[in-house]
Amino acid sequence: MSTTTRTTSGAAPSTSSLAASRKFKAFATTFSISGPVIYCVIQYLNWPLVTFWPATDRLVWGYEGARSGEGPNMLWYGWTLTTILIAAALGVVAMLLPRRVTSKIPLSLVWIFPILAIPYVIYSLMPWWTLAASH
Amino acid sequence: MTELISVNTFWTIWLFVHLILAVGLLGALTHQAMAVALPARQPAGGIVTRFRAVPAAGYATAVCVLWILTYIVGSYIYTKYRIAIRIPLEAGHYYKTGGFFDFKEHVATLGLVLLPAYWYFWKNAQDPSYDNARKGVTLVLAAMCWFLFIVGHVLNNTRGFGS
Repeated sequence: MSTTTRTTSGAAPSTSSLAASRKFKAFATTFSISGPVIYCVIQYLNWPLVTFWPATDRLVWGYEGARSGEGPNMLWYGWTLTTILIAAALGVVAMLLPRRVTSKIPLSLVWIFPILAIPYVIYSLMPWWTLAASH
Repeated sequence: MTELISVNTFWTIWLFVHLILAVGLLGALTHQAMAVALPARQPAGGIVTRFRAVPAAGYATAVCVLWILTYIVGSYIYTKYRIAIRIPLEAGHYYKTGGFFDFKEHVATLGLVLLPAYWYFWKNAQDPSYDNARKGVTLVLAAMCWFLFIVGHVLNNTRGFGS
């Protein structure tokens, strides 16, 4: 008899209806599996939902490039929002799929994709590393 | 607000709030990661065993809430960072420091999108079919959290409190 899991996970049957919901499982796993992939693609394509200008406190829809006298723009908020919207939409689609389809989604992708995303993220920051190497 | 406290004090308070939330998150995730990576076979023992023997499932909601709160406060501070910190960093040729901050922001978002599945796996911790996925996502989140914390700490040393 093993007590290992009980001792460390404190596992008890879930009393939350959300945690017991098969549809939420489909949403949550699809959202988390697709999220890192979508974030990398959105960043590569530069599709921010909004652009924020911190010097002037101005928020605009979509991408807005450098403007004279407005300081730097910030795209990270926009990339994150675009990612959340698309991942949530895919999650909703997954909720509508039959269980025999969603049960085939490999759950290990939830932790494999964010690890695979890291090399791309490092590569996407190449301008910083190039500048660092030349100074 | 600037009539009551200086601009520096205002942002320093927010930086402290970010730090306190991050410390709570780091502690909770490290407990959980230890519990899944090196499960304790006895509920009591030395300090290391007790550190691993926490009821890890109870941390899941707190971790999600703390990650989101830390993320929101960090996002708010980021607006000040972009003007008051990053521009001087670039002017001083601290490119590696600036690059690692951008790396940190990406990792924070990658962690954020993992939270729904992470929460679901922990809330169904009694189901052994989620054991591997739960272990994997918890270890990834803990590693991310340590990375975010260390980069934030180093960046603060470069140009943070009182600068």
